[in-house]
Amino acid sequence: MSIANLAPQGVQALQVLTILSGAPLVSGVISHLEARLQGRRGPRILQPYYDLSKLFRKETIVPDGSSWIFLTAPVVSFGCYLIVPLLIPVLTTYGLPLGYMGDILGGGFILALAGFSVALSGTESGAPFAQLGGSRSMTFGALVEPTILFVVFAVALLTGTDLPYALAATVRSSTSEMVRPGHVLAAIAFFLVVLVDTGRIPVETHSGTLEFGMIDEARTLEHSGAPLALLKWGSAMKQLILYTILINVFVAPWGLATSGSPKAVAFGIVSLIAKAILLGSIFAVIDNLFSKQRLFKITEFIAAAFLVAVLAVLVFYTGGG
Amino acid sequence: MAGTPSTYAGVADVATVLILLSEFAMLRAPLLRSQIRLYAFQSLVVTALAIVIASTRHIEELYVLALLSFGLKVVLVPSLVLRLLSKAELELGGSSALGVPSMILLAIGVSAIGFFSIGSLQVHSIALPTTALAISAAVILVAFLPIIFRADVVSQAIGFFSLENGVSVASLVVAAKLPLVVEVAFLFDLLLAVVVFGLIMRLHHGRTGSLSTEELDRLKG
Repeated sequence: MSIANLAPQGVQALQVLTILSGAPLVSGVISHLEARLQGRRGPRILQPYYDLSKLFRKETIVPDGSSWIFLTAPVVSFGCYLIVPLLIPVLTTYGLPLGYMGDILGGGFILALAGFSVALSGTESGAPFAQLGGSRSMTFGALVEPTILFVVFAVALLTGTDLPYALAATVRSSTSEMVRPGHVLAAIAFFLVVLVDTGRIPVETHSGTLEFGMIDEARTLEHSGAPLALLKWGSAMKQLILYTILINVFVAPWGLATSGSPKAVAFGIVSLIAKAILLGSIFAVIDNLFSKQRLFKITEFIAAAFLVAVLAVLVFYTGGG
Repeated sequence: MAGTPSTYAGVADVATVLILLSEFAMLRAPLLRSQIRLYAFQSLVVTALAIVIASTRHIEELYVLALLSFGLKVVLVPSLVLRLLSKAELELGGSSALGVPSMILLAIGVSAIGFFSIGSLQVHSIALPTTALAISAAVILVAFLPIIFRADVVSQAIGFFSLENGVSVASLVVAAKLPLVVEVAFLFDLLLAVVVFGLIMRLHHGRTGSLSTEELDRLKG
């Protein structure tokens, strides 16, 4: 007896649920691995879940003088991170009903809205470090933007559209698509962007408590209780979303479900989490190999990413691409 | 827009892009030692490219060329320059007239000129795709930047040597079947340049006690 296929809407809901429930797991594995690489025992792999459930039970404290924005922003950003998985190929090779609602730029806008609202709530708190974090994250976010645009241009030149599903299909179609320099360079540039956006080592210490080097982490210093849980969960989701885009669109779009059969979708979920953990362990190794750059050297790192993205576009115009 | 290049063309293009990227890395490397190591890496990629062409296109002369360029450019030249450098222990880093981000932006502009000017020539080659020629033109143009903007002898020498790498790639595209004698003469040119630059470095360091060329505005009197 064959089991009925899942409805596309159901698969789409599963995409969101996978990101929602898998994100803390991926973060947990990465921080565990990071600790092991440094010779520490490290937190339990499931620690992020415990942290979240603890934070949800704690009381919420709001700084004096802050307005409704302080408590709304975490919810807004969390909502944004729930929307993006609808737009990208998380589990399937084919577009789902809401998948064509927005292209890569659309997804980028929603991620930017999330980042903006978190920065705003940090600024709203009135605390100097949170404000510093908000201002820094906006500054570096603006500097990364041109790189993302050029990566999108490269994708558009490759596929003729800027839909993530189309690029994934192009990459899957043949080996020569995988090794063409335009695609390789765009993938490298996007890898560097992910490094910046997830606050990884050359840019930011991921788990440090030193406020001077903080960028993204500093924004949430004043939050507590359930809003802090939402912010933490959101940042884990953002990380998994960016990993998913890098893996399922640029680097290794294999193992995705080609139909709605429950078996294929389940395999898609498992393979996504496995690939994300693999990618995360690469990031953990990078974390241990390099030192954090000074804040004013980050522009050089971003300039390098920009350079790679521009080269990706340039090689297309010489015909070889 | 042209269609997808073949896997061989793609890999060859990625290798030439790697050469260009190491050129850019040289541009931003603050330490003289890391510049030299990057030059060695770049030469290694050129050697690998020559071997790949030799084996896929059956041009036996290129094996000899690859061997020569490995010995000269990957082993001999870098170790010679590193030895010269170890005698001048005072300076680890060179100096630059421009900051790194503006240098990178300038380099992007310069390499764009290289890409578009050569890309529009439509040179067809049996050995490598046309893109490789455009990229090698970009390598040559970008190699001028450290020569112009870096104010120390070592960076300028390395800039010149890596310019030669760009020329080698260009010659692989345009004339992969160039007689071996010409290629070898070409490499001896490089050896000559190493001798000359080595002399300049030693002489300069002996006279001014530093590798920086900024002292050179005080020649009179």
